[in-house]
Order: sequence, then structure tokens, then C-alpha cells
Amino acid sequence: MSMITEITLIAVVVAVACALPGVFLVLRGVTMVSDAITHTVLLGIVLAFFITQDLNSPLLMIGATLVGVATVWLIETIQRSALVSTDAAIGIVFPLFFSIAIILITLYAGDVHLDEDAVLMGDLAFAPFRRVDVFGLDMGPQSLWVMSVILVMNALFIFFFYKELKITTFDPAFAAALGFTPMIIHYALMTLVSLTAVGAYDSVGSILIVGFMVGPALSGYLLTHSLKKMISITVLIAVVNSVSGVQLAFFFDTTIAGMIAVVTGFTTLLVLVFSPRKGLYKQQLNQKRARKLLDKRIKTLT
Amino acid sequence: MKKRLLFILVAGLFSLAGCSRSDQPAEDSNGKTEIVTTTSFLTDLAETIGGEHVAVTGLMGPGVDPHYYQPSTSDIIAMGEAEVVIYNGLSLEARFTEIFEHLGERDVLTLKAADGIADSSVLHETEEGDAQAVDPHIWFSVSRWKQVAQYVAEELSSHDPEHAEHYQENAEAYIKELEELSAYIEERVAEVPESSRYLVTAHDAFQYFGEEFNFKVVGLQGLNTKTEAGTGDISQMADFIVDRDIRAVFVESSVSPRSIEALIEATASREHELQNAGALYSDALGSPEDNTDSYTAMFKANIDTIVDGLTKAE
Repeated sequence: MSMITEITLIAVVVAVACALPGVFLVLRGVTMVSDAITHTVLLGIVLAFFITQDLNSPLLMIGATLVGVATVWLIETIQRSALVSTDAAIGIVFPLFFSIAIILITLYAGDVHLDEDAVLMGDLAFAPFRRVDVFGLDMGPQSLWVMSVILVMNALFIFFFYKELKITTFDPAFAAALGFTPMIIHYALMTLVSLTAVGAYDSVGSILIVGFMVGPALSGYLLTHSLKKMISITVLIAVVNSVSGVQLAFFFDTTIAGMIAVVTGFTTLLVLVFSPRKGLYKQQLNQKRARKLLDKRIKTLT
Repeated sequence: MKKRLLFILVAGLFSLAGCSRSDQPAEDSNGKTEIVTTTSFLTDLAETIGGEHVAVTGLMGPGVDPHYYQPSTSDIIAMGEAEVVIYNGLSLEARFTEIFEHLGERDVLTLKAADGIADSSVLHETEEGDAQAVDPHIWFSVSRWKQVAQYVAEELSSHDPEHAEHYQENAEAYIKELEELSAYIEERVAEVPESSRYLVTAHDAFQYFGEEFNFKVVGLQGLNTKTEAGTGDISQMADFIVDRDIRAVFVESSVSPRSIEALIEATASREHELQNAGALYSDALGSPEDNTDSYTAMFKANIDTIVDGLTKAE
């Protein structure tokens, strides 16, 4: 496989793996949780590093995922108190965890090159260089394998718990009344979000995760009202964004992650303006029509 | 519904159009050894030693600070096709080091410039309590750079024995050139009285230079250009400068001059006249327009700036 093909494949797999849980983040209105997670995982890495003293230990990834889950849990708890809104809860938890990590690093690990870059190095451009060998056979890039597994897990989770996810997302009160344990489904979803973020962090870097989780899902949300259709549109847009982003990056000879993020932002804006259902353009049109109708009515009245 | 389909279609075509342009043909290297280097100093060194038998791609161009370098797609392609990778080591390339190690596992000859010199000759950051941090700026020691040149020539020769003689000849010529450079530097340094041999710069890039040519080197920011100098550092440094009656400080081509400007202001408030004596090349070579795009030319430009700055200020 050529370098471009490999990078494109990794980008597509990561994009879809992120977009799937992203759909539910968008529907629940907690998209910025993904941003919080990409920062607070540093705390998990630092804590795990103090235990292992080894920057290459897989325990660092596990620590990162656990702190990601803790982040979500704490945000939820604060928000459930009904004293603050979700975004405010994120605003409390994310700086808190992140700064504890920074303080720990400056206090105890000043002489070790320890930051997100060191452990979750994450640059799509480098992904093809880190490969898996099995009995001397080159099995392809490591991140392609890791993210494919996460992608399959996400897809299976949504497939098997589709009904539950749908009910807990759209009508949590009803779900609770039905005897579902919406909490379990919810935390399972958030654990997947955290795991996906950590895995994706390692292969594509932090800017892209938020873009991948929010952009395509938001486009899907603006284009349809059916959950099934929203998922398929989201996946399609995620694929288009990453394929064209990689191509454009190679065409202009620039940074790949940055280019995909730009394309993602661009397509999302495009949908936001031109969506035939609820786009800004359509809204304007509807308003104009309504005003005309009103004018006409007023005229007929007078 | 129709509009949505149209959107999907357009988006799909957009990405397909991109696909047809993919897989640019690998550049024909005419049997030359493909080398990828990180810093511009190593690019210059590899080109000089390899001569006509190598094709060198330097990742960090002139004026690029290695601490901030971001790879572009052509850099990635070059790295994918490289037979030999030469990097500085000693944490200079930070997150790239891991990638180079991975490349080393797959039939790519990876040379670390730091392997060319003895471990004992690697300097450390001098700050108390933080003796661990190594100083990666080995290119500012001409004697160490000679060892690096010899090391690269030897490794290239065993990698490509057919042209071994050629590499050795080039290395010998280069080492002779470096000896001349060393003599020139000593000559110029002698112009500065020993008591005023202070080199004050933004970050600690010149320790090796200071050690080799008997200069006291003081950096504001420490080894890493990512950490900013705090106000405490600046005022301490200002006291130091007034105390020693230092008259000239220097900025660096690839580091923001802000902290040095703050330092000049701080000394001015202590009624001491300190002048910015010009820019030094620290983490990258200059451009061909300034005629500082080779190691020796860069070093000569630096030493001229330093000596002229210090002697004029007397």
C-alpha cells in the first residue's frame, strides 16, 4: 500500500469510529465533552506514568481512558445537581483535571519529557511509520488496527443497543419509567467515547477528535429527522471529509490533520447554511414567505 | 430529498476527483542514496559528504525552529522513501525520535549525530536540580561537528561501499574546512578581551560554543524555546548584566526577540546602556540570499556578529 492510501484508510477509520458515538453526543447536546476528554486524559497518563515509570507502557492508555470516564462521570454528577448547565459543568471539570496534571508534571516529572505529545503522540502523518509485525510479516500501521477494533466495538454497541440508545437519548424519563437502566447505557456510551478519544488521540492528534466527533454528526442532524438516516449520513460525511482532506493536504503539501479539520468545518458550515430542512438559507426563505403572507393578510384586512 | 442527494453526489465527486490525483510517482533518484535529514546543519553536512551520490531532503528548512516543526505531506513521502535518515538526537527532534526508531526497524539506516560524539562530551543544562536535561546544540562545537562528519562518512561508506572512497574524500575535505573555520573563530575571539567574553542570548543554544572557545554563555530561556522567560529571570539577568558591565546582547534568527527586548528595557531602567548587537543563527542555517546557507558560512557570520558586537560596544 502506498503512503497516501494508508493515511487515507486510517483517516477514514478514525473518522467513522469517532462519528458514530458523535451522533449521540450531538443529540444529547454534550458535544464539548469530547473536547474536555481530549485534555483531561493527560491526568490519566501522568498518574499511570508515576506507577509504571515507563512512557511506552500500555497502562498509560488505560489510565487515560479511565480518567476520560471519570471526567464524564463528574460532569454528569455536577450537571445532575441542576445547579449548573452542562457547558458550565464541563468548564469546571476540564480545567481542574488538566491543571492537576500540569501541576503534577512540574512538581514531580520536570526532567522527563512528559506531555500529551510524548505519549499520545498523534499525528496522522506519522501513523504509517508505526507498524505491526507478526512473525516478521508487516501487518500494516498499528493505528489502523487499533482504530478498526474501536470502530467495530462502537458499531456493535450501537447495533445491539439501538433501541435503548434511541429511547434514552430522546426520552430519558420514559426510558427510566420503562425500567431501562438509562444510566448504564449512558455510561457505556461515554466509556466508548473516552476510549475512542484516547485511541484516536494516539493516531490522529487532538484537533481532529473534536472535529470528527462533532462535525459530521452535526451535519447529519441538520439533514434529517430519522436517527437511522442521521447515522448513515454522518458516516458518509465523515468518509468524504477525511478522504478529501487527505487529498487536499497532499495537493497543497501541508499538514494533514489541519486540512481534514478545515474540510470538516467547511462541510459542516455548508450544511448549516444550505440544509433543505433547517438550514439558514431555508429559514430565511421561510421567514420571507411568512412575511409576505402576513403583508397580504394585512392588505386584505384593510 | 433531491437536494440532499445532489449534495451527497457533489461531495462524492469532490473526493473522487481527489483520488485520481493520488499516488504521485516516486521521484527517480538515478541510483542515488536517498537521505532524509532533520536540521539544516545536518542537511548541509549530508550534502557535503554525500556529494553527487546522494539525494538529500532536509525536513527543517532555513529559519525553522526544530521545537516547533510540523511535517508537511512531502516530508512524509520523503521519509517513507528514505534509505538513510540522519537526525541530531539528544531530544532535539522530540516526538520524531520515536518515528526514526521505527524506521530503523525496517531496513532504514538511521544515524543519530549524537552517536558520533562521546557520551562524556555531551553537555547538560547547568541549572541546579535539573541536571538531567541534555543540551542538543552540538553543532556549535566545531570539534564535535568534525566527529559527526567522520561518523556520517563512515556509516555512509559501509551502507554504500561502492562510493566509500568518495565519501571519505569529501569528509576529509570537509574536516579540513572545519579546521580552518576553527582557526578563524579562535582568531576572532582573541580580539575580545577575556573579561568581556560574555554571550547573552535568548535561549541556551551556545553552551558548546562557549566551552570550546572560552566564552561565558548566558541564556534567558533555558534549552527549550517553548518555555518563556519569566519576569524574575529577566530582572535577575538585568542585574547580572549591569554587574558585569556587559554592553551587547544578541537575538536569534529562529527565536522571537521579545525576551531580549524586554531585557534591554530592564537594563535601561537601571541606567545601563545595552545594545542589541544583531541576530545569531542558532537552530537553523540562514538563507542563500544572506549567504549563510552552509555550516561554515553560518558560523563565520555568527562569530563576526559576536566579535563585532562586543568590540564595538567597548
